Amino acid sequence: MSRPRCNHNKGTNCAQAYLRGVVVLTLVLAATAVLSAAKKNKNAGADEQKRALHALDRLSFGPRPDDVQSVAAMGVDKWIELQLHPEKIDNAAMQARLAGYRTLEMSSREMLLEFPPNPAVKAVMDGKLPMPHDPYRHAIYAAAIDRIEQQQQQKQNAANAAAQNASTSPASTPNVQPTVQTADLAQRPEDRREAHTVAEDLALLPPDARMQRILALPVAQQRDLTQGIAFEKRQALLAGLSPEQRETLLALNNPSGVINGEIQSAKLLRAVYSDRQLEEVLTDFWFNHFNVFIGKGADHYLVTAYERDVIRPHVLGKFKDLLVATAKSPAMLFYLDNWQSEGPDSEAARGVPVRGQSPGMNGPFARRGVMYPVPRPPRPPQQPNAQSNQQKRPNGLNENYARELMELHTLGVNGGYTQQDVTQVARVFTGWTIDEPNRGGSFVYKPRLHEPGEKKVLGHKIKESGENEGIQVLQIFAHHPSTARFISTELAQRFVSDAPPQSLIDAMSKTFLKTDGDIRAVLETMFRSPEFWAPETYRARVKTPFEFVVSSLRATQAEIADPQPLLAMLNKMGMPLYGSQPPTGYSTKADVWVNSAALLDRMNFGLALATNRLPGTNFNLAQLLNEAPLADADPYQVQLKLEHALVPGDVSKQTHQTIEERIVGPQAMAQFEDPSHPTNVNVIAGLLLGSPEFQRK
Amino acid sequence: MSITRRTFLKGGAMAVVGTAAIPSFLTRAAWGAAEAGSNNRRLVVVFQRGAADGLNIVVPHGEQSYYAMRPSINIPRQQVIDLNGFFGLHPSLAPFKPLWDQRHLAIVHAAGSPDTTRSHFDAQDYMESGTPGVKNTSDGWLNRTLQSEPAADSPFRAVALGTSLPRILAGKAPAVAVSNVNGFGVAGGNPAIPLGNTFEAMYEQSVDSVLNGTGRETFEAVKMLKSANPQHYTPAPGANYPRGRFGDALRQTAQLIKSNLGVQIAFTDIGGWDHHVNEGATEGQLANVLRDFSQSIAAFWIDLGSLAEDTVLVTMSEFGRTARENGNRGTDHGHANVMFVLGGPVRGGRVYGRWPGLDPSQLNEGRDLALTTDFRRVLGEAVYRHLGNANLNTVFPGFDNAQRAFLRYLG
Repeated sequence: MSRPRCNHNKGTNCAQAYLRGVVVLTLVLAATAVLSAAKKNKNAGADEQKRALHALDRLSFGPRPDDVQSVAAMGVDKWIELQLHPEKIDNAAMQARLAGYRTLEMSSREMLLEFPPNPAVKAVMDGKLPMPHDPYRHAIYAAAIDRIEQQQQQKQNAANAAAQNASTSPASTPNVQPTVQTADLAQRPEDRREAHTVAEDLALLPPDARMQRILALPVAQQRDLTQGIAFEKRQALLAGLSPEQRETLLALNNPSGVINGEIQSAKLLRAVYSDRQLEEVLTDFWFNHFNVFIGKGADHYLVTAYERDVIRPHVLGKFKDLLVATAKSPAMLFYLDNWQSEGPDSEAARGVPVRGQSPGMNGPFARRGVMYPVPRPPRPPQQPNAQSNQQKRPNGLNENYARELMELHTLGVNGGYTQQDVTQVARVFTGWTIDEPNRGGSFVYKPRLHEPGEKKVLGHKIKESGENEGIQVLQIFAHHPSTARFISTELAQRFVSDAPPQSLIDAMSKTFLKTDGDIRAVLETMFRSPEFWAPETYRARVKTPFEFVVSSLRATQAEIADPQPLLAMLNKMGMPLYGSQPPTGYSTKADVWVNSAALLDRMNFGLALATNRLPGTNFNLAQLLNEAPLADADPYQVQLKLEHALVPGDVSKQTHQTIEERIVGPQAMAQFEDPSHPTNVNVIAGLLLGSPEFQRK
Repeated sequence: MSITRRTFLKGGAMAVVGTAAIPSFLTRAAWGAAEAGSNNRRLVVVFQRGAADGLNIVVPHGEQSYYAMRPSINIPRQQVIDLNGFFGLHPSLAPFKPLWDQRHLAIVHAAGSPDTTRSHFDAQDYMESGTPGVKNTSDGWLNRTLQSEPAADSPFRAVALGTSLPRILAGKAPAVAVSNVNGFGVAGGNPAIPLGNTFEAMYEQSVDSVLNGTGRETFEAVKMLKSANPQHYTPAPGANYPRGRFGDALRQTAQLIKSNLGVQIAFTDIGGWDHHVNEGATEGQLANVLRDFSQSIAAFWIDLGSLAEDTVLVTMSEFGRTARENGNRGTDHGHANVMFVLGGPVRGGRVYGRWPGLDPSQLNEGRDLALTTDFRRVLGEAVYRHLGNANLNTVFPGFDNAQRAFLRYLG
């Protein structure tokens, strides 16, 4: 910048020159500032993008194509804050998707009536319960009765055959087990063709008429129709039916299967489509922490209400509230057998007769809403049976829940409890049981089952006080430092890495204890920690099968018309939803899920999804890339776009080059000139979904 | 045997060689060199997860206490399958009786882990790591068996049937998880472009150490299995596997063994043993599982045919159950348990180990069957005398692996 020529003798010239100088200086400074800010913004922009991706990887089930942009634009911290308050996120679209699954809103009691398990059906067969009149319900019961009669017949046949074979040489192993049901439709080709024809004809009828015709069919034919026909034909048969009609048809084959199918479908759909992603991740986390196995007896009918009423409402609240809710849930009481636990010195164990019932609402003199103080005639005292006078009944104490409560739910296996504590805690919880479990009843405390006397748990004296003893013990556990550590560790393993840094666990435990176990506060500590954002945390976790499948569906924006095939895929991958038999639930650690069978499953899944070979799910590549018609697209551009869409920012050189050379390169492309394989570029998507990068989050 | 010249000469090798390098085991086989220390001996381990009730599986019907302690869930004397006047099999184990009579099936009772934990999770962990009481052992004892005796690098040297690689096989030595023999490969796409090879190249060059290693193992195994033509396999006549996960797993284990892929160690598990409530007696939950258990194993034995000569199968469970029934016609977590050993070289038809008795004063902590044989004693003998691996102090560190203490159930 040249110095303005200034001659004080000339006056104005100096001022002008000075002003010019200042203006130029200002402009230059401003320009430098703008340039430097732009550079910073670019870096900040890139940083914010990276942070957005990491936040999405961890707080959600995986980014959808535009998520990184929108989260970065909103500001990552703001987005996290929003996810921590799901009530602020509109979820109407999600609700609409689930509207057809009626069982999601039913009570366990309703479910048992609508979709009866075998004991309920047997009660009808034995005349203990009436056969329903409603045509849909009637059909379900009739089909179930037929099924049970068939099974009994088969058992009889097998027993007869075994009796005959008893003397034969046992050189070959006898196939004695009573296999279920008639032969698979797949093994009866004639019947299968017939069923297909019938299905096609029926599909043409309007829904009500269609239902009427199906319900009028003989049960065996109904069975064939609903169970063994091809997927597409079944879809056509179900198309246009109301949710109730649809469920009735499915229940003709397997009533409790309807419930399983709906809750599993709902979990998958929520994970893929809900905008309250963190809430879904946490529902999955807490269900897994307080695991219940849907396959265990009555739990078939208890899990839906468990997740809906016990887990989901508490995922971001106080740990103690969640803990008490699970302890009182019929699902947990049944799963870990506490509902049957009886104190060795309880009234029940000692054979003390049941006290007469007091007059009340249900007495003959009760008027609606008013309790009449009319005493009922006293019941004759029950004769205690002779045996109980002579010998004590065997110890009915069940320690299962007490142990898992401490080992898996609160303190952790190294939390500092002993076998004596287990027994004492078991005694505390005697009496915590279910009212009519086979009718979907709720929690009830039965003093009759309760072990009397004072107990000692972790050094605390628990005075005899009935149901309150259990509440006390739960509060002790909920506030214990071991619990704070254990819960913090589990959360960090889910959200940070398989072996999270001790410093992080310490910080989270501190928050836990300081905030009376406020889960949201603990999460905030974690999400704000330097450890969460450390470079080594990025992509540190390997996805579990569920996380892998859901992230694939989100990344590809696939449209799920029927979740069943996807659920079957999860079964195959070893992670059936709600299907962890042991109370430990599913691990999130890499070494459990990384092995040959798993890798092959994932590669095959990725390819199947990408090339639209997954029935019930549709992937529209052209729409994803805004590239229609796809046939005209340059394959290399498609590759770049897909890499950006599916594996934003993280495709390795190796993966990129491999795809480029083998699929997109000139020699490879020559082989693509095959009209019988029009979806060849879809293969690129499949390869990316099966790539090493995509297995991480 | 590991990859043989037979497989190579059948042209399998040419199909195997795609764009990837020729795996080293093929090269060795091509030159016809026999691997040092190679043999056909194999070990199959079956884990009963959930604490199986040993006292109702091999019933000490000669013990008065047994009947006193289990008034409603005992197996009556008239209904056990008597073995030697004192012990008898649960009636659902009928398929085992011929194996016992043929002297291929041995039983070790009052065996298990000395650790007193009653946590399923911990106890299974200890039994799979082979170091009871020690939590930070990173690998499993079966993997250490492989590590300590490097042999043919067949990718199928150690297989686990199921969708995950279990703790017992975790470690540096490669092991393969197979959930479905027929579906073991990459499917779909344009047949002109073998996508398996593309994936393979991706994983091979990946810098992700976890996935890179597993990827490589996977693709070697895929190619090898394909060359063995699994689609055309049928089990031997008389091998009637029951339907279900466990039967399937053993059927596929037999298939892999018979396909000449060099399987030396195989593992699978069977759940459903944790009967706290309504265990049942001659009929019921336990009886149902035992039926599946014994039919599958017996079918496996028949299916192996002459290969049974070189095979030893051993069963284990993390702990047993309480000697007394609980108030819910079930049993709670206990201590010692029963182990079965089945095999060509097994000196069967005998119950090994010292029986401690079921008198209340003889019980562990006043409630469970006491332990008289450490599980590592049983497994160590199989590793040492059957597989020919003398490095027991590596396989079971911290245990006195002296051979003089072997039960000598192997002939």
